[in-house]
Amino acid sequence: MEAALWYVLTGTRGGTNRVRILNALDEQPRNANQLAEALELDYKTIRHHLDVLLENDIVTKSGDDYGAIYLPTDRTRHHWETVEQIIEQVE
Amino acid sequence: MSLWIAAAKVATALNVVLLLGLGYIWGRNYLTFKSKHTLGLLVFAVFLLLENALVLYYYLIDPDLSAWWHNESLVPMIVWQTQMAINIAQTAGLSFLLWITLD
Repeated sequence: MEAALWYVLTGTRGGTNRVRILNALDEQPRNANQLAEALELDYKTIRHHLDVLLENDIVTKSGDDYGAIYLPTDRTRHHWETVEQIIEQVE
Repeated sequence: MSLWIAAAKVATALNVVLLLGLGYIWGRNYLTFKSKHTLGLLVFAVFLLLENALVLYYYLIDPDLSAWWHNESLVPMIVWQTQMAINIAQTAGLSFLLWITLD
């Protein structure tokens, strides 16, 4: 899990934005629209990053597609120290 | 015969381009994250880039080695075929890595 976190968050082109998304979801679970607004990113960009995070079991969603609320998975919470280490560098 | 040689050269040149792309992304991320993980990716890209640049150099430029490589009486075709397989396998692996890295 830690290796996946490191690669998805720090090894890829979109890593920095994915870290910002994860940080925002840690503060408060939200849907894609709210994330786009809070981070001033394109809605499509947010959707893409959320899909990658979902695929890697870093975030999970509750509810139906459009209004679905996203939040970090238990696995991610379990490794939150790693995530925090990464978030610190982005801020 | 020249097809094998051309394929080996093209694959090596492509490897250099792919590694420059990967190195750029990982280098930029290293500047942001300063972690040993991103540094590891960057070091990997730099060394594999050096390897491919060296191969390209002796395929194309070095006066002694490029002449030796292109002399059929010195380098049998099976060597070129093996070289091509190695170069192309690397191109395939690096293409996949760049694809997930651009995601």
